[in-house]
Amino acid sequence: MKQNVSWTYSSYRRKQTLRNWTVMLATFFCAYWAGISCKVDLDALRAGIPKGIEFISYLFPPDWTAFADMAMPALETILLAFLATVLGAFLSLFFGLAASSNIAPRWLRNLSRFLLATERSLPEIVILLLLISALGLGPFPGVIAMAFGCIGMLGRLFSDAIEEINPATLESIESVGARKLQVIAYGVLPQVLPSLLSNTIFRFEVNIRLSVLLGAVGAGGIGFQLYYSFQTLQYQRATTAILITLLLVFLSERLSNSIRKKLSQEAKL
Amino acid sequence: MIEVRQITKSTKEGVPILKGISFTITKGEFVGILGPSGAGKTLTMRCLNGLTRPTSGEVLFTDHQNNLVNLTHAKGRELRKARRQIGVIFQGFNLVKRLSAIDNVMIGQLGRINLLRSLFYGFTDDEAMRALAVLEHLKIAHLAQRPVGSLSGGEQQRVAIARAIYQQPSVMLADEPIANLDPTNARKIMQILKPLAEQMPIIGVFHQPDLVMEFCTRIIALKDGVVVRDGDNKMTRSELIDLYGAELSEIEASQRILQPV
Repeated sequence: MKQNVSWTYSSYRRKQTLRNWTVMLATFFCAYWAGISCKVDLDALRAGIPKGIEFISYLFPPDWTAFADMAMPALETILLAFLATVLGAFLSLFFGLAASSNIAPRWLRNLSRFLLATERSLPEIVILLLLISALGLGPFPGVIAMAFGCIGMLGRLFSDAIEEINPATLESIESVGARKLQVIAYGVLPQVLPSLLSNTIFRFEVNIRLSVLLGAVGAGGIGFQLYYSFQTLQYQRATTAILITLLLVFLSERLSNSIRKKLSQEAKL
Repeated sequence: MIEVRQITKSTKEGVPILKGISFTITKGEFVGILGPSGAGKTLTMRCLNGLTRPTSGEVLFTDHQNNLVNLTHAKGRELRKARRQIGVIFQGFNLVKRLSAIDNVMIGQLGRINLLRSLFYGFTDDEAMRALAVLEHLKIAHLAQRPVGSLSGGEQQRVAIARAIYQQPSVMLADEPIANLDPTNARKIMQILKPLAEQMPIIGVFHQPDLVMEFCTRIIALKDGVVVRDGDNKMTRSELIDLYGAELSEIEASQRILQPV
């Protein structure tokens, strides 16, 4: 049956194809250009492969005797991440409340959201480097940097969870003559608790990885061991540090997943 | 006692929804507000405890101690003080789902107790016993420790009523309290409310003319933002047709289907 339409499938398809190819070619062109400015040298890559393989052989066997030396730094990394997460989550709660439209006045909500976004765009390593120049090397600036680094992400996630609360529930608590703080204690906190905990535990997992990285830049822990071993050419010792790092990350991920699974069942209520 | 004097309410765009509503509710009354969808029933209820402020007119509330509060202008402490004495139950129950039934009942006294103590859920055993007694009275004491989200609609509405009773109000507002319930539960809730009205007047918005005629002592009918009828609890069929128009057949149909035999 002939229909009265102003387009044909083939012309539509031509337009789509033209668009797809344009995007694809533009991407390749940009990548090529980036390759030139990064001095990509395929010959160097070819020559580097055997060197790399040779280097890997330096890494083995791992230096098991270093294991004992690294137990304490590994624990330090965990504690660093833990302390930073607890501290950061606590601070994030206040920012989260201040950034929620159903709790805070509009100006405060917008201001808090702006501050949170600013913090998110600031990499933790920048915060750490600033703090190191003020506080010197060591785990303490690491904790502060990571705690501060939590706020952008956790504060935002908390306030998103808080804004999802049914406004009728909060209104019904107000209707008995309750004050704002009571509305928060009875209407907000119990309702968002599973989601707060779940996000916080996820952040703990992130902080474990981060504390390895920050350790290398001076915050101590297993990250510093890794960095130091490489610097002093003790490659087999470095392998031990890498294995311990893998173990930490793997375990924290498993732990976080299993706890969060339980919490998400809880949250369905 | 609540006196509503010529309240009006318009939307932000200036469209009038309530066009001058007046009535007075006194001791011992169980008032049912009826009316088609969009008549302004819920909005009227919201004006009664200051959740919505009317554009003009006044809502005057006399509390236990015979203090007169103008709810239209009350703010902050004065509004909270008045609200303590106004129990409200809602269509959606609006309880805190993850808190237990007993904690939800305790919320009823938040307006009265010390702020610091309340923030840490520092209720005394005495207070808990009183709350439990109310739950017992409504036959749901065995659910006291269950999170409210895990209860059925009928049970949740009982918790909400328990909270309102525990609040010891001088008047109770009920915004479509049985609209989300099946007919058996709806009737049970009405049976709970009826004797309660002897202690505190109850004003409720309802969608079931038959239940209202059976349980309420007075019917106020709203249509297009005005009171079209205010009187005893008997409405004839032709009055109902006048009030609801085409909607009446829908209401009756849903009642026929759901009516317990």
